[in-house]
Amino acid sequence: MTKTTSNGFGISRRTLLAGATFGAAQIASPFVITARAAESIKIGLLLPKSGTYAVQGEIGQHGAQIAIDDFGGKVLDRPIQLVWLDESTPQATQQNMRKLLEEEKVVAVQGGVSSGDVLAIMPVAERAKTLLMATGPNATEITGKNCSKYTFRVDLPNKVTVNSVYPLLKEHGKKWYFVVASYAWGIDAYNQMKEVVVKDGGNVVGYDQAPLGTTDFSSYLLKVRQAKPDVIYVGLGGTDLTNFLKQMKEIGLTNQMALSAPIVNDTDLWSAGPDAAFGVYPKIWNYTGSHMTKRSTDFVEAFKKKYNQPPEAEGWQDWFGMTSILTAIKETKSTDSAKLVGFLEEHKFDGYKDAPIFFRNFDHQLVQPLLVAQVKDKISDKYDYFDIKSQYPNDSATLDAAYGSQAEIGCTFKT
Amino acid sequence: MTELIISQVVNGLVLGFLYVLIAIGLSIIFGMLGIVNFAHGVYFALGAYFALTLRDSLGPWAIVLAPLGVGVVGIVIEMTLMRPLYGKEPLLGLFMTFGIALFIEELIRTIWGAAGHPFNPPGWLSGFIVWGPVLVTKYRLFVLVVTVMILIALWLFLQGTRYGRIIRAGSRDPEMVSMLGINLKRVFTAVFGLGTAVAGIAGVLAAPLWSVVPSMSEAAIMPAFVVVTIGGLGSFGGAVISGLLVGISVALSIQFWPAASTAVMYALMILILLVRPRGLLGESWERFE
Repeated sequence: MTKTTSNGFGISRRTLLAGATFGAAQIASPFVITARAAESIKIGLLLPKSGTYAVQGEIGQHGAQIAIDDFGGKVLDRPIQLVWLDESTPQATQQNMRKLLEEEKVVAVQGGVSSGDVLAIMPVAERAKTLLMATGPNATEITGKNCSKYTFRVDLPNKVTVNSVYPLLKEHGKKWYFVVASYAWGIDAYNQMKEVVVKDGGNVVGYDQAPLGTTDFSSYLLKVRQAKPDVIYVGLGGTDLTNFLKQMKEIGLTNQMALSAPIVNDTDLWSAGPDAAFGVYPKIWNYTGSHMTKRSTDFVEAFKKKYNQPPEAEGWQDWFGMTSILTAIKETKSTDSAKLVGFLEEHKFDGYKDAPIFFRNFDHQLVQPLLVAQVKDKISDKYDYFDIKSQYPNDSATLDAAYGSQAEIGCTFKT
Repeated sequence: MTELIISQVVNGLVLGFLYVLIAIGLSIIFGMLGIVNFAHGVYFALGAYFALTLRDSLGPWAIVLAPLGVGVVGIVIEMTLMRPLYGKEPLLGLFMTFGIALFIEELIRTIWGAAGHPFNPPGWLSGFIVWGPVLVTKYRLFVLVVTVMILIALWLFLQGTRYGRIIRAGSRDPEMVSMLGINLKRVFTAVFGLGTAVAGIAGVLAAPLWSVVPSMSEAAIMPAFVVVTIGGLGSFGGAVISGLLVGISVALSIQFWPAASTAVMYALMILILLVRPRGLLGESWERFE
């Protein structure tokens, strides 16, 4: 009897091995070929995954994802890959920005809820000559004295928002109290609003800075109660604003004075609840109201379908930010940031708001109408908290002027 | 000005009791088991989230059942994840609790979502009392009373009962206690459950005051560690004194230098550790010397 290396099926081990290798190659090779032909286009996302602004981070990511879905998940026939790293502190965000650029080789980065974090990553984007779509920060200097050739800002500068709500607030009286987060955004909001108030003959009866992430505002509120202001202007966001409103309710200050903030996220009020939520706020966008366009309505529907809740302002910002990046890639047929910047400086985005909106070529600020929104007296829906009082500016002819002229802005790009 | 200072000191004292309540569970678990429990904050958060889920169906019973639920979670975690690490390198326990903290926070985010949930105090506890310059809300007063009651109950339990004596003895000399025929494993599990349940109570009570979000654990864990460190690790009385001290310092700093109100807590800790490295009432402990 001859010895064979049969395995019982009459196939030698060698044949089996060869077959297996060939089979594996058959399965693997088409994949290898496809992967090479359509290497994904990576776009970085820097939004908070934890801390004060964690909710905004999640909704922002959802918004960006809807934009990618709108493009069918592909641009230039290549799949789009979103790489989301955490935005926490300026230092950590800067590190993650470097990781996105150096290790992940992203073609552009989007994000930034906190102005402090955005100011920290702008120079990194500039050195790497990579497009940074700053979707959520409000500090005026981002498209002002600290502006950068590679940074575009979707959200509203404090300098503009203060003018939008001031006429409504000044009707309540001249005594103003300020409680603001003690970093770039809050401090800038105080400076911008104070200037408007003082110029108009109002006075500041109190000004407190609160560390970001303050949980208990009761001691601040004792001071506010003592000062009896007509208007309280709070440069607080995320859980800070939620805590502030809940604790105002606790000591009976809800609706006892006019309240406003440099900007507002619906989520902060949803989490405070209908009893504690009040105030009049500048708002970049709202999912209900007569300002809604067809495109925005489609976005709301897609968002609701995918995430089972309506999108709030942050969702719109990141949806629009990602849409603008992808549009630029598609139109220029390139991922080269220099070309994307050139495109964004010239393009007018139609159908997203009442008027065509565009990034100005001299400061990269998105020029757009904003909403003045008041919390409803009676809130019956879990999500629908706002009545839209007006749009600012009310005449689209003055839109550009509302954001300040080139001379007023004081932005010069480094060349 | 005197009036404002009085009002801030009282407010700080009341806030201090909330800090004490958050810190006690941490103090018990450290004092009795020698575990530096980084996951303390997530048990606090779980208390709030359990109450949130149960309150619609159970009403006021949710306040009682939520901390018990947290205690059960604590017991399961102790039996499965913590027990194998007793007597090993303390660093392992630290990593483990840190891992548990991250895991449970993500779990909360997955189950209840990243967005916050409204949580109002019951109607009979809304409103506030004004007495001269002092303003205290009824709800915070309620928290204060509950905290004092829990402190007294724990003190009586640990000092006055046989179980309490076993726990205290076991924490100092586990071998000796085991040799006396006592099942220490079970005792440790019970202590861990107790500590996490108290964290759960703190979470339930803080829910109407602070945001109910997955990251609420972060808001609790740092003050708790500061309070326990200042008070002396494992010292009950120390935790009470230091909690109140932290509350008052924070309130007064908000009156005079609000931007530093978070930093003041850490500054106080550094100062006390420089003068008394063991903390205010920390005892010398042969196991950790």
